[in-house]
Amino acid sequence: MSALETSFDAAQPIDAPRQILVARGVTKGFPGVLALDNVDFDVRAGEVTALLGENGAGKSTLIKLMAGFYTPDRGEITVDGVALQADPASAHRIGVATIHQDAHLVPAMSVAENIMLGRWPGRYGWVSRKAQKQRARAAVARVAPHLNISTPAGRLSPADQQLIEIARAISEDSKILIMDEPTTSLSPPEIDRLFRVVNDLKANGLGIVFVSHWLEEVFAIADRVTVLRDGRLVGTEAIANLDHDKVIRMMVGREVREAEHKPRPIGDVVMRVSNLSRDGLLDDISFDVRAGEIVGMSGLVGAGRSELAACIFGIDPYDSGTVEIAGQPIRANDPKAAIDAGIGLVPEDRRRQALVGLMSVRSNMTLSLFDQITRYGFLSSQREEEIAAREMKSLAVKAASSKVRVSTLSGGNQQKVVLGRWLARRPKVLILDEPTKGIDVGAKSEISDLIVRLAESGMAILLISSELPEILSLSDRVLVMRSGRICAKLTRAEATSETIMSYATTG
Amino acid sequence: MTLENTQMSDIATAGHGKPPGLFGRISFIDLMQSVGLLAVILLGGAIMSVLSPVFATMRNIENVLQSATIIAVVAIGQTFVILVAGIDLSIASVLVLSSVLSVGLVQFQGLSPEIGVMVALLAGLGIGLVNGLAVTKLRIPALIATLATMTIGRGLAYIYSGGTNIAPVPRFFVDLQAARILGIPAVIVLTLVLALIAQIVLSRTSFGRSIYATGGNPLAARLAGIKTERVIIIAFMISGLMSAIGGLLITARFEAGAATAAQGLELAVIAAVVIGGVSLFGGEGNIGSMLLGVLLLGLVQNAVNLLNVPPNWDSVVSGLVIAAAAALDVYRRSYLEAGMRKKVIATKSKQPPKA
Repeated sequence: MSALETSFDAAQPIDAPRQILVARGVTKGFPGVLALDNVDFDVRAGEVTALLGENGAGKSTLIKLMAGFYTPDRGEITVDGVALQADPASAHRIGVATIHQDAHLVPAMSVAENIMLGRWPGRYGWVSRKAQKQRARAAVARVAPHLNISTPAGRLSPADQQLIEIARAISEDSKILIMDEPTTSLSPPEIDRLFRVVNDLKANGLGIVFVSHWLEEVFAIADRVTVLRDGRLVGTEAIANLDHDKVIRMMVGREVREAEHKPRPIGDVVMRVSNLSRDGLLDDISFDVRAGEIVGMSGLVGAGRSELAACIFGIDPYDSGTVEIAGQPIRANDPKAAIDAGIGLVPEDRRRQALVGLMSVRSNMTLSLFDQITRYGFLSSQREEEIAAREMKSLAVKAASSKVRVSTLSGGNQQKVVLGRWLARRPKVLILDEPTKGIDVGAKSEISDLIVRLAESGMAILLISSELPEILSLSDRVLVMRSGRICAKLTRAEATSETIMSYATTG
Repeated sequence: MTLENTQMSDIATAGHGKPPGLFGRISFIDLMQSVGLLAVILLGGAIMSVLSPVFATMRNIENVLQSATIIAVVAIGQTFVILVAGIDLSIASVLVLSSVLSVGLVQFQGLSPEIGVMVALLAGLGIGLVNGLAVTKLRIPALIATLATMTIGRGLAYIYSGGTNIAPVPRFFVDLQAARILGIPAVIVLTLVLALIAQIVLSRTSFGRSIYATGGNPLAARLAGIKTERVIIIAFMISGLMSAIGGLLITARFEAGAATAAQGLELAVIAAVVIGGVSLFGGEGNIGSMLLGVLLLGLVQNAVNLLNVPPNWDSVVSGLVIAAAAALDVYRRSYLEAGMRKKVIATKSKQPPKA
């Protein structure tokens, strides 16, 4: 019996498709996070493998490893038995092509030039236009026969640009095509066309990796599904053995510890958002947040949550609707007005949106507190130091001093600096956009505790998070967003990983 | 606790010997930049005094400083603009426009010298306002917007003056050039006073802090409630005003409303500011260090003159100095970043590994 098993493992079944790319025990860490932990993955000729997982599960890291952008810390990736070098150009040479969410084309160059980008045929630096056209035409004929190859790429629709990228991959004789959320900017007929192309490529023996958040698409196109969770491999299954619920369970599957949730007194409505719309991004958003309440906002990346926060806080304009704080409407597209009305925002990307890296911890902490630290326009360093010292102490910020550059701090401590800025102001509403993103576990739980304490003190909190455990353990209510709308409003009792995921991915 | 909190400021203040309130904010790195520049200046000065008997004379040094004042005053304004990650090419044109207005309004229109000076300064503020509005409201890149006002400004100065220098100048300018305060030429004192005010504004006021934040990270500044557009507009207006003051100084120096002067001055000013450690990417730099950049460039110019370098070579030499300074700056920056990364990794590895 055991002998039989061994021989069965060693020799592949005769009709099993050939493995092109094989990743074994791949591990990749970044400062503060282990993005991939001992993951096995393979891509087979003539098959579409869907790569699934929640935000932050490790999909992007795996894709970047396969495309040669990163080197694995441990483990190995081989393509047809040849080890992959960590260099995008050599990944291309070896036959791995990646189609990113947004097309990477040179807008002013023609379709033909883009397809042959960097490999223009010719001699002595002269480009042979004839050979270029010939080869480009051959590739375009397979994926997008409706396109003229002399059109500048910039004039094409996003869908056509994507097809050009696929044509480029074909002209490179790629063996593997990685498609990272290729359908996000496509309309349903365009998706159908893309799927026809994918099926055609599959029939020609390419191995395709398909990443999507939309389960309907996965069931329509994939042959196999590989699910990652928290950087680990959950499993790889043939699509025939799966259904919608099974996939969701694989994606969220962890035991959600039932954090003790002390009921808090919930007060009056503090912030009311009514019928807020922004063309193409947000569609008729209405909800409110009460004093002492934590409203969780869940949804996939691109569902419009950060865009909503940007509109509420006045960073971006909106077309219609109102935002009211304690019954008073606040002026659109003016962060200062939002701050004065009592809104605070801890944005998603603290390095880009919240901190001035060249400035000290102290100056960053007081960046929105000029009214508290100045007199007649002059700064009081004493007052500034008092505030900085107080907030650094209460938040346990680890820094050599308040005068070191904020960019020298770790992610968790940087986030505390941003939080400290708002705590010193005591806003009525605090919007937290992915407050624990890229932060190590210790700082994460500190920040979670802090959020609860703030709510207990009567602050209204809108918590945007892609991490279901965070949403589930902290929220009094959960709003789920999908494609720019609120598609579900759940009570604490109704909110489970499965219901939230289900609303976020299907509808 | 005290040990942690004081290290940076202690080094900075001890090195400068200035009241801690004013320079306490200058970081250790900025200080190194200044010390490096100062070392180059002193070394170059020492070499020059060996090579040329004229160099170390009081007369020559005063001459170097006097001619540096015009660049210095204009560079103070330019520093504000570059700190908000902008650039102002219109400065030399504003300068000559101010110069011809300050004289021409008296000569041609018979107005009083006070009004001439006032109008000249207002013209500078006005062009700065136009630059600022073009950059913020119309979202024209600063390089292009100020290129336009540079061309227009110079054209207006030519039209108004008829393309020649206007003389004689009101008595006021002659007196300004001749005046001495405690034996030091008044224009040098004026420059230092303006520099001091600028440094105080930058380091001690919320407006100055807003300048650094806007240049360092405009999005973060805006999200913190800073009116970044207003900050940028005011920075351009300061640059216009300082250029107009530079125009008054050049009027005094040349004793003429100088329509044709200051050709290429904008590039010399930008070069001096960058040599002085003000980052073209914005958000980094200070006035003191910037003045050393102006001084260094002035010394190079002086050295080229004294050593009888053929006149056509002097711009080659100045160019090499600029290139060297810029390369050093890039090197310094990448070295620092590498250092910071190491520091971050070091603090990380000290934390206990998580499960």
